[in-house]
Formats: sequence, structure tokens, C-alpha cells
Amino acid sequence: MSLEDDDLLERPIDLGFLPRLWPFVRPYRRAFAASLSLLVVSFAIELVGPWLLRAAINGPMRTEGRTVAERTTDLWWYAGAFLLVVLLGTACSYVYGQLTAWNGQRVIRDVRRQLFDHLLHASIGFHERNAAGKLTTRVTSDVENLNELISTGVLQSAFDLLKIVGVLIALFFLDVRLALFTVATTPVVILISILFRRNAQRAYRAVRGKLALQNAYTTEAIGGVRATRAFGREDAVQTRYEALNADTAQSWRATVYHFSVFFALVDFALRATGIGLLWFGGTSVLRGEADPGMFIQFWLYFGMLTSPIKELGEKYNVLQAAFASTERIFLILDTPRFPPPIANAFAPTARGAASIEFENVVFGYRDGEPVLNGVSFRAEPGATIAIVGPTGAGKTTMLSLVSRLRDVTNGRVLVDGIDVRQWDLTSLRRRVGVVAQDLFLFTGSVIDNVRLFDRSISEEQVWNALELVGAAEFVRALKGGLQAQVEERGGTFSQGQRQLLAFARALVTDPAVLVLDEATASIDSASEARLQNALVVALRGRTALVVAHRLSTVRQSSTILVIAGGRIAEAGTHDQLLRQNDIYAGMLRACS
Amino acid sequence: MLMRRRGMVLLGMACVPLHAAVSLWMPSVMGGVLDQLEPGSGPPSATATGSTAAAQAALADSCWLLLALAVAETVFRYVSRRWLIDVSRLVEQDLKNEALAHLQRLPITWFDRARTGDVVSRLTQDVELVRFVMGPLLLHGGSALCLLPAGAVLMARLDLGVTFACALAFGMLFIALRMLMPRLHKWSKRAQEAIGQLSQRAHEDFAGIRILQQFAAQDRELAAMATKNRRYLGCNLRLVRLRSMMHAITHSTTGAVLFAVLLVGGHQVIDGQLTIGALFQFTVYLGLMMFPLEILGWTLATMPRAIAAAKRVEELFAEKAEDSTGLDLPLRGHLLVRDLTFTYAGAAAPALRSVSFELEPGRKLGLVGPVGSGKTTLLALCLRFYEPPRGTIFLDGHDVLDLSPRAIRAVFAFAPQEPFLFSDTIAANVAFARAQAGPEDLDLAVEAAALDQDLPQLQLGLQTVVGERGVTLSGGQKQRVSLARALLGDRPALMLDDTLSAVDSHTERRIVSGLQRAREKRTMIVATHRLSAVTDADLVLVLDRGTVHERGSHRELVALGGDYAAAFRRQTEASALEGGTAP
Repeated sequence: MSLEDDDLLERPIDLGFLPRLWPFVRPYRRAFAASLSLLVVSFAIELVGPWLLRAAINGPMRTEGRTVAERTTDLWWYAGAFLLVVLLGTACSYVYGQLTAWNGQRVIRDVRRQLFDHLLHASIGFHERNAAGKLTTRVTSDVENLNELISTGVLQSAFDLLKIVGVLIALFFLDVRLALFTVATTPVVILISILFRRNAQRAYRAVRGKLALQNAYTTEAIGGVRATRAFGREDAVQTRYEALNADTAQSWRATVYHFSVFFALVDFALRATGIGLLWFGGTSVLRGEADPGMFIQFWLYFGMLTSPIKELGEKYNVLQAAFASTERIFLILDTPRFPPPIANAFAPTARGAASIEFENVVFGYRDGEPVLNGVSFRAEPGATIAIVGPTGAGKTTMLSLVSRLRDVTNGRVLVDGIDVRQWDLTSLRRRVGVVAQDLFLFTGSVIDNVRLFDRSISEEQVWNALELVGAAEFVRALKGGLQAQVEERGGTFSQGQRQLLAFARALVTDPAVLVLDEATASIDSASEARLQNALVVALRGRTALVVAHRLSTVRQSSTILVIAGGRIAEAGTHDQLLRQNDIYAGMLRACS
Repeated sequence: MLMRRRGMVLLGMACVPLHAAVSLWMPSVMGGVLDQLEPGSGPPSATATGSTAAAQAALADSCWLLLALAVAETVFRYVSRRWLIDVSRLVEQDLKNEALAHLQRLPITWFDRARTGDVVSRLTQDVELVRFVMGPLLLHGGSALCLLPAGAVLMARLDLGVTFACALAFGMLFIALRMLMPRLHKWSKRAQEAIGQLSQRAHEDFAGIRILQQFAAQDRELAAMATKNRRYLGCNLRLVRLRSMMHAITHSTTGAVLFAVLLVGGHQVIDGQLTIGALFQFTVYLGLMMFPLEILGWTLATMPRAIAAAKRVEELFAEKAEDSTGLDLPLRGHLLVRDLTFTYAGAAAPALRSVSFELEPGRKLGLVGPVGSGKTTLLALCLRFYEPPRGTIFLDGHDVLDLSPRAIRAVFAFAPQEPFLFSDTIAANVAFARAQAGPEDLDLAVEAAALDQDLPQLQLGLQTVVGERGVTLSGGQKQRVSLARALLGDRPALMLDDTLSAVDSHTERRIVSGLQRAREKRTMIVATHRLSAVTDADLVLVLDRGTVHERGSHRELVALGGDYAAAFRRQTEASALEGGTAP
């Protein structure tokens, strides 16, 4: 997933994955077909207009010998037909625009939905390797780029080509000499167009890179204003910014140059072709080989060529970006979901005995570097197991194995006597409650954060959970109570309040099994006391695995596991371990 | 600001009407050509071959003239486009430089109130919108203002009826576009908001993916996301409808105008009042005027937004800069705080109440207390990020209000709670404190902050780029970079605001003991949750909701048996259970 924007843009377009878009397009294939036919029809209609003009000029306007009244009547007919063609063409292009957008928007909605679904079910390892910001870009900008491809890109480019070819054919029918002349000059214009678009694209890419740097630095200069002030480095920041700014401006001016030259050359080439047509057409008319009406028709057709030619170069760039985005999207969709679905997953309906068991568990984040290396223990229903040991010994990792955020490398983790890999994942995660060290808050109300958007949990249940852990008091004091909006990732809550909310979040579903990562102690005695109470309530009647940071917690537990070097170095109750007078006893001696 | 570049502007501007004039000249030549062809319209034998030759010569002359005009048109267009847009870029550059320079002088209180995102958008999007008015709009708008009236006059001279009919169609187009534009803006803004919300939610979901998976909340989240997705789709479809409508209106106007030319002009031709060449000339004029007309509608629609953007930029410049006057002298850092009570502007209750203490150079002060107890505020006041009341904070006997901010900040090397790193190399981030620091100084600071233990894991060591465009450091690593920066700062006093909160206890012990040795005569102010960092402090203040709740040395506070003592016992336990030893 290391494919960055510029890597992909430098490569030639790879169409290999286009067929993979088909399943997304398939449901709307009829609408797409309709859209395509409309495009063809509107083009045909567009060709009729100039032909009518010519007929009107050569007919009623120039034919001598008929009465003025007759000619006027004819003119009305032609004009009426012309108006009809205009209206029809307008209607066609309007419906086409609507239909194409409708199709495209629906396809990308489906793509976005599936992509999001996939990402929500990707493994934690995947998310650890890919920053949230990058994945967000995939779901937003990359899907938007795909939209360009689906709703306008492919269809429109095909149409532009069709239009160029169609118009050229029409020109040949009108006048071979004029058509040949046009055909001779068109490639020149296309070449200029593609050549300069490419340069401009390169210049734009330089701008984008430099602008991104500059804007990032702007954010840093403002966000870091306190650091700058504290060290008195305002001048250094200003100098750096001005250098980046000058760099960006320079790149911008390069694009200005490219565009000025491009527009000048293309406009001139088109003008010159027009003048050439006037010359050749004029001589034809003079020789009596053509008539002025035909010349006007030819002129109007020629005008129809300019915009698709100008746009082809541009479309190429859009398509290139869209293809790159599509590739990135499919790269994500190709990553496996976690966990792979299994048949006959265990989904208990009645509550069994709640137990946790580790059987010779081996786990490593990287091959050959096991964090846990043969851990076995069993927590009987209702027991509290406390884990102690140095930082980085894999204590928190053990917790994540129980709710199956990660899979063991070897061995088994069993909940209620059943391997967690045999469990239906949703049932397992309902069975196992989790209290993390810090509370991750989502934008939204307090109630939504406690019940995590699960509307089947009633307000009353939420209040009960809050009462239970002693958080009801401060939630009631919030403006809006349960409906109070959480701001800035919960910056308004104190550390103690956040921890109480984390307890409430875990307990609101009344899970039988609890894994708990105890937060480090705070200086505030009052909130410390509340936390102690919450812990007692949480552990009562549940089977729990606790990473302990407090002596009181350890003392309350039925078994203490001392983890060191990936193994259980000591296990037993507080008193047993004290009598054993080894590692644990040594730890406690350090306290006094 | 435009004055600085007035030469370029004038030259560019001069070319705009010239270009318009040349463009408008061409159709009449073309019309003339077509009329010259009339003699040949009958059977070839009907007219003398001599007149055909003459007509052909005239045709050649006209084509040469047209070619010359086309060259002139191209040159004028090139010059006006190149210089006007170029100038707008230069002005943008100047404006951005000056805006940042101004921001650097604004008081910290202003930054507290302002949201970073908003300031950044003023400095980027708003300035760019202002540029847009000065560049492309000057060019195209100016061009439209020249072309449209002149074109209308030229057409009217050919035939009033046809011109009137065209003007009517164009007028309706213009009105329709103007009516649709605000709705287009409204819906594109809504679509922006919708995708913004979608993006924010997605970002949050990915950041909190552990929680979502642990609580099996993915499907509910998917449903919530689907709603947002649908809302965005709705906005987009509305936008598309408006765009199609605008396109259809433009499309049908072109048709309607041609219809008018055909009908009204056709009548005139039949009556012999108008030549076919003139009719053709009309269509060419119309082709010329279509684009400027669209641009004009667009300009008028963009104007209000550009004006609003210009106002926002102006607001930035109107903000009053921090008072940078005062004594500018080297200070030793003798800090005296006397009965300091401080309330943030707009806050109901004071953040600090009657805080007093004295810190002599070379001594260590510990500040402990829960989040929101006033530790950070006290440090910020010492740095004079905020203005304390007169007579409350003294440095070397001077009231800080009489000292220049520069002199005050030269006393303290500060490592803030939320470390701020630039997207740059680790070395550059550390050296930010002191540009002229040598490599040995850098190494010493890096070692003292225990950053050296991380370097082997980083591919380029100190030259590794961190942040947005590089390696993501852990919270603890960031804090240690920030600490190394403060250490390199080499100021009389070191000020740490909970700098080691995310550093693991083992590394923390290494740093703290290293600091104790290396401190020498440096004054130290340490705000922290971890009491192990202040056991050697000469004075510890335990803050609670802005007041000094307990005070004394570590030993005295433990003996006191209050909150400090209890917290110290708990932290000792926690450290012991991780296999550490007592501090």
C-alpha cells in the first residue's frame, strides 16, 4: 500500500483492472446503455443544425425566380425545423447529463460503501500499517476520481473521439478538398494540445507538490506558534516560509507560461486553419465548385471540432488520475478481511459458564520475534486474573487476543471453552467487554459514545451503567445530559471522567467476560477513589483479565500472573507469591 | 501591493482592449470575403473570367489580412494572459509573506481563540481567491467588458433587428445564469460540507478502529456512513441537475441565437437588405461573444465570495500585534511570583488563585496536580504568553510587564505538553532551539533526552524526516525530541510541561537521572503527573483548581500524608508492578 500519488501518475495507464469495475457497473448497465445511445443521438441531431442552415441559405435566401412570399414561407419552415432541432438537442443533452450523473453517482456510492465496509473489517495490523488519514483519502478523493472516470471520463472521451471522426466524415461528404485540408491540420492541433497538456501537467504536479509542502508548513507555523515564540525563532520560520512560498510562486508562474503558450498556439492553429478554409473554400466557390451555404455549413462543422480536440488532452490527465485512484481502491479491496468467514460459527443463545483459557499461546507482531512465547493459564468463571510485568512484555497484547482483535501465531485462546476462532465474531465481542486505558471518543453525543451507536440499548440501560460506575453524577451535570455533544475528542472531560465513561461503555451490555487495561494512577485522590469503586463493580460476578497497575487491584484478584520474557514467570495468589519470595515479592519490596 | 508590480499590470491591461479590437475586426473581413464570392455563385460561364481573377486576388488579400490579424490577436492574448496572471501570482506571494509575518507578531491569546484550520484557510484559500480576482478575473472580465459592448455596437451597425433578437436571447441567458449561480454555489457548498462530514467520520472510524471492532460496532457504523453517503449523493445529484440545466440553457441559447439570425436575417436577405456575408459575420460575432458572456456571469457570481475572502484576509491584518516593547536585557532567571490570581478573558472563574513562590537561579520547582489545575497556565504566564496582572510576576526583580517578551523567553527553554514537531528531520527539529548549535551539542542533547536509543530503528538516524511526510513517531518519541530541543536551547532555565507523560517508566528514569546530573546550575521548572520527576525538587507545589493545595519538598509532602503522599504511594506501586524500583 505504498503507492503514492506521484508514483502512479508517472506510470502509463494500466487498464488491466477495468473489468473489475464491471460488477459495480452491472446493476446500472441499462441506464448506461441508454446514456450512451442518447449521446449518439444528440450528436446526430447536432449535425442536422448546420445542414438546415445551409439549406436555408441555398434555398429560400438565394433562389431567384420565386416570389418573396413563397421564399418567406420556406424560410419559416427551415427556421421552424432548426428550432425543433435545437430544442431536441438541448433535451437530449440535458437528459444525458442527468442520466450519466445518476449512474456515476450510484456506482461510486456503491464503491464507497464496499470500500468502507472492507476497511472496517480489515485487520488491526493493516490499520497499524496504514494511517487513518491515508485511508480517509481512499474513501473520499480516490472514489471521487473514480467518479470522473465513470460518469464523464470514459463515455465522454469515447464520445469526443466519435465526434472528431464523425465530423471529419461529414466534412468529407461536404467537400473533399476542404476536408483533406482540415484532416491535415487537425493532427497538428491535437499534437500541440497533447504536448503542452503534458508539460502543463508536469508543471501542475510540481505546483501541487510544492503547494502541499507550503500549506503543510503554514499549518505547522501556526500550530507551532508557541514553540516558535518560546525559542524566539520567528525569523527562522518566516525565512523558511518565504522560501517555500517563492518556490510555489515560481512553479505557478511556470504553469502560467505553459498555459499562455498553449492557448496562444492552439488558438492560432485553429484560426489559421479557419483562414485556410476560407481561402480554399473561397476559391472553390469562385470556381463554382461550391456554394456559400455549403461553406457556412462546413464552417459550423469545423467549429464543432475545436472543443473535443481541446478537451482530449485534458481528459487524458483526468483519466490518468482516475485510473491511479481506481488501482489504489482495488489494492485495498484485495487485502483480506479479518477474520476470514467460517462456517458453523459458534453463536451461543444461552449464557454458558464464562471462562478464559490460554493454551500454549505464541504471538509475535513480526516473524521470529515472539512477544508471547508459550503462555498457558485458565480463568475459572467469576475469577479475576491480574497480569503484572514490565512494559512491552505483551500484557496488553494478551487482552487483545481474548476479544480476537488479533489472532495467535500458535496455540489457542478459548472463551467458554471454545476457541475464539470458532466463535461468531459478533457474539464473541458481545460476550467479552473491553475497558481500554484511555477512552476513544467519537464525535457525537455522550449516549452514543457509551452505547457506541447501538440504538437497541435504551437510555435507561445507559443510565444504569453510568450509575453503576459512578459516572451518572457528572453526566447529569453536563449541559444536555446524555445528549451533550462530545467536543474535540472529549477534551472537556477530565482524565478520571474519561476512564469512568470507558467502564460504562464496557458494562452497558453487561458482558460476562471482561478484559481491562487499568489506567495509571492520577494525582487526584477523589477521582482515584471513584475509579476504585468502578473497578470493584465491574469485576463483581464477571470473569476478568486485568492488566494491573495498582496493588489494591492485584490483591483483589484470584490469580496473579507475572509475565516476563514472553512467558508466565510466576503465578498464584498474592499470599502464595509472597511466600514464594521471588519476583513478585521483590516487586512489592520495592514499594515500601 | 499592486503598485509594486504596476509596470506589468499596465502592460497586461493595455493588451486586453487591443486583443478585443483585433478579434472584432476579423468577422467583418470574413463577411466581406463571403460577399465577394457572390459573383461566382451563378453558373461559371455567366460572368467574365476577369472578374473571377480579381475576386480571387481580393480573396487572397483578405486572407493575408486575416492571418496578420490572427498573429496580432495571438500576441496580444499571450501578453495579456501571461503578464496579468503572472502578476497575480506575485501579488499572492507578497500577500502570503506579509500575512505570515503579521501572524508571527500577534499575541498568543489570539491564537488561543482562533482555530488553526480557520487561520490556515485564510492564509491559503482566501488569499488564493483574492488572487483569482486579480488575475483571471481581471483578464477575462476586462476582456468581456471590452468585447461585449463593442461587439453589440458592431452588430447593430450591420442590422438592428438581428442584433436586438440576439441581445434578447443573450440577455435571457445572462439572467438565467445569474439566477442559477447562487444555487450552484449553495449546493456545491453543501456537497463540500457533506463530503467533509463523511471524511471526518471516516477518519475517526479508522483512528478508532480498535474500539469499533472490539465492540462489534462496524455494521452500525456502516449504516451511519451510508446515511452520510446518501446525503452526499443527494447534494451531488442536485448539483448535477443545476449544471445540466446551465449547460442546456447555454446550449439552447446558441441555438436560439442562430434561429434568430436565420429567421430575422433570412428575411432581410430575401428582402435584399442584407448579404449572406453579413449573415455569416453575425454568426462569427456571436461565436466571439459567447465565451465572454459566460465568463461575465461567472465573474459576477464569484465576486461576492472573493470580496468575503478579501474581508477575511483584511481582518487578519487588522488584528493588533503583541506589545514587543520593554527592557531587553540578559536575565539570570530569578523568578518571583507574588499573590498571582489570573482569569482567562471571558472565563467565569480564575485559572489561578493567589499563587506565590520564589525560585532562585539553579533551583528546581515541581508543579503537580490533575489536568486543569493550572500548571500549564502558570508556565504560560512565566513565558508571558499571557499578560499577568501588574506586580505579580518578577524576573530578576523586574516586573515581567516591563520586560520585552524576547528577553523573557530567552530565559526559559520550554518543552510543552503537546510537543510540536515540524515535518522535517529530527536533527532540524532539535536544532530549532538554536540554529548555531554544533554537532556535539546536538548529540549531547539527543543523548540526554534518551533519543539515542531510538536512532538504530530509524533508517536515517537523526536525518530521518518525521511527521506528515515522514516517519510517524510515537507520543513518547515526540516528547523526547521536544525535550532534546529544550535541552539544546541552552537557556538559564529549563521548563518542562509534563514532557515525559507518554515516555515509558524505564526510559523516564534514565532521562530524569541524566537530567539531575547534567542540570548543573540550570534552573528547572517541571510540571508533571509523574511524581518521580519531582522527588529532587527544592519546592513542589500541589495545585488543585488553581490554588496551591500542598507545598514543600518531596520529603515534607510525603511526611504530610496528604494527596501528594497518597498519589506517590500509588505511583510507586504501579512502577513496582511493572518491575521497576522505587524512585
